[in-house]
Amino acid sequence: MYRAAIHGDRDAFEMIIRTHSRTLFAIAYGILQNREEAEDAVQDALVKAWKSRWRVRDPEKFPAWLCMIIRHRARDVFRKRRTLPLSDEIAEQPETEAIDGTALDRQLHSALAALPEVHRSALTLRYFEKMDYQSIEKLLGLSNGALRGILGRALVLMRKQLKPALASLE
Amino acid sequence: MPAIHDKIDSYPAADLHNDLSDEERHELHMHLVECANCRRLHQETRIMNKILEEKFTTEKPDPAFEQRMLASFRNRIPQQTGSIAKLIVDLMRLRTAQIAAVAAVLLTLVQAGRMITGEGAVASRNREYAAKAEFPAQPAQAPLPSSNEIRALSKSANRRDNESDQFAAGKTFARGQVAAAPAAPQAEPEDKKQQRAEVEGAMVTESNIPAAEEAGPNPVEVPAPPLANRKLVRNANVQFEIVSFDDAVQKITAFANEERGYVATTSSEKQANGKLKGEIVVKVLPENLDHFLQKIRALGELKNQTHGTEDVTKAYFDTDARLKNARVMEQRLIDMLKTKTGKVSDLLQVEKELGRVREEIEKMQGELKYWDSQVQFATVTISLSEKDMEEPAAFLLKERAQLALYAPDVEKTYNNIKGLASLKVQITNAQLDRDYSGRVSARVSMLIAPEEGDSVIARVKGFGRVENFQVQSERIAQGGTGMSKNAKTKRDKVELNVTISREEQEQAFQQTSLHIRTSTVDEKAKELRNLTEKQDGRVRTSTFSRDPNGREVASVSLRVAMKNYSALMQSLNSLGKVEDVSVHRQDRTGSQIDEANAPADISIQVYSQGNIVSSETGLFATVRRTLAQSVAAVMWSLRMIGVAVAFLAPWAIAIILAAWIAKRIARARAK
Repeated sequence: MYRAAIHGDRDAFEMIIRTHSRTLFAIAYGILQNREEAEDAVQDALVKAWKSRWRVRDPEKFPAWLCMIIRHRARDVFRKRRTLPLSDEIAEQPETEAIDGTALDRQLHSALAALPEVHRSALTLRYFEKMDYQSIEKLLGLSNGALRGILGRALVLMRKQLKPALASLE
Repeated sequence: MPAIHDKIDSYPAADLHNDLSDEERHELHMHLVECANCRRLHQETRIMNKILEEKFTTEKPDPAFEQRMLASFRNRIPQQTGSIAKLIVDLMRLRTAQIAAVAAVLLTLVQAGRMITGEGAVASRNREYAAKAEFPAQPAQAPLPSSNEIRALSKSANRRDNESDQFAAGKTFARGQVAAAPAAPQAEPEDKKQQRAEVEGAMVTESNIPAAEEAGPNPVEVPAPPLANRKLVRNANVQFEIVSFDDAVQKITAFANEERGYVATTSSEKQANGKLKGEIVVKVLPENLDHFLQKIRALGELKNQTHGTEDVTKAYFDTDARLKNARVMEQRLIDMLKTKTGKVSDLLQVEKELGRVREEIEKMQGELKYWDSQVQFATVTISLSEKDMEEPAAFLLKERAQLALYAPDVEKTYNNIKGLASLKVQITNAQLDRDYSGRVSARVSMLIAPEEGDSVIARVKGFGRVENFQVQSERIAQGGTGMSKNAKTKRDKVELNVTISREEQEQAFQQTSLHIRTSTVDEKAKELRNLTEKQDGRVRTSTFSRDPNGREVASVSLRVAMKNYSALMQSLNSLGKVEDVSVHRQDRTGSQIDEANAPADISIQVYSQGNIVSSETGLFATVRRTLAQSVAAVMWSLRMIGVAVAFLAPWAIAIILAAWIAKRIARARAK
């Protein structure tokens, strides 16, 4: 399938879109923390992948290459977003603080945002797609066994960040 | 289980995500039972995991996500069908296609290069040859048939097919070639023989004379029976170099008589050097020609021999036949006149015709007689020239003299030389030049009768001082080249070129420089002038100067004749203390120099000693010098500092800039 897609088989490429777009979305969401933006990033990444598919020499590495494209694209979007003024949105936030769930949600977001990019991508892949550790390692280009540490540390970090909120929740 | 305890961060998550092996899970649970801290951590991780699962379940993309992605992709990349350009672009993106394209381009370039240089054609030809060599039916000895041969072969094959059917249909091409090949050479020589039969003349030159002799009796000498009626005109041209022309003529006459021939004509010409050359025409009987030629070879050195035979048989017998016809015609016309039966005008016409026929008959008879005489006797033309033809008859001795003179008065000398003009001394050119700076020079060219030459040159030499004198004699051979014992030598007019220059321009024979120390420079310089004049010398330049220390210097440059030189040098001692004498003498070897009158240059510096104490000493001067030196040192150090700053400033600026940028980047990252 990957080989056919590289050689310009559109059907094969559409099949790849069907099977891999959720994975790509998970990675993009991990970086961007925003569904709309993540979706747009996935669309852009797919178009870009189709246009430059001939650059892939080894068909086996096509999924990893797709992941790389989506990560770059998501990073670009993230960088552009940072240049926009966000102060207004943040200022409006305290009004909704009355509801506990929403507060926790927001804290969860900020805790996620504080994590390194690889940690976030690993988390989203695991929790969105329920992917096994081996597949995630392959997609993110991690060495064998590294993911266990990454996910463990990610959870510990998040737990530390959310400790006050969790205490109040309990 | 300290190992699990140390790495407890990575274990709970893996446990919750079912990534632990059974053994690891067992070990973890055993540790959790023992360690309260890890148990708490595990518990918190579990809660965190649950929260995250809940959180991400809500954030998950909806079921139509893939469809949306597909639709968006299809919108943005519309399907293009049947586009060849697209196909080519897609193809070119493949590595294999790229390699193939590069190879194709290289091959095309190589082929283009071969076509341009023509190497390809040669290569293909070589291949053709290789293929032919491998062809087994081709016999090894037989040369490759050319296109003409092939054409001839096919023609002969066709002819044979048409002429008869007796040849079997299965005859091979190779046999046809073998049969046809000998036929062509046979046909060719017959044609050539006929052509050669037309050529009657034969040429013999010096190079092939021995060959002709070796061939024995000439076929013409003993004519073969079929040639008996032939009319052959034989002639020969021979060229000799002999010692004496008259002896040779006598011998030739004797030989001609012996061979029953005669000397037809003799001509001779005398050269300027007294040598004779000429031509003798001898007529001998044709059968004796070769014998005669052999005899005359003893005359001298044979330079060239041409021997020819002209066949006039055809023309002779043609003319003979026409003569017979004309005679018959003449007889008829005579008969017509005899009967006299016709008009007067007709008779006149017959008379006229008879005249024309008779004229023709005479002409033809003359021709036949001429040929008969030509055939009866062979003509031998002998060219004779005496030896040493190129020897000169006389020599002319030409003398050219160049004389350069120095004279005190150029104009006077010039007029004196011009005054020498007489019948035997001719002035051919006289020129007097004077330039802006007053330099005068003159040139006189004259031709002197040979007997007066030496005396006139001696007189001219006496007019001035001889700088240079050159004589060039040339012996010109007249009426030939090389040497001759008998030729006379005659003296030609002497050509004399005189150049006169002013004495001032003459380079000194000896140059002397010296210093004279005295207390009264001015006075002594005047005395020096007087001394010079006494010795017939001349002061050429003089300068006088006085420096701030009170030192006076007078430089005097003077010229005297060599004969007065030593007297002047001795008298200089009276002026003061003579120092630093240096003498430079130019010995002109080989030239005729009148040493007594040759000029000697003396340059003298008369000087006095200056103040003993210099004004540049004392406390004040020392302080002034110290101050000046210290200011100079300060200025120098300032300059050095400036240089160092200029040298280091760009580097310092670059380093500071780089550090500032790095800092900015680091700060931006930290944010």
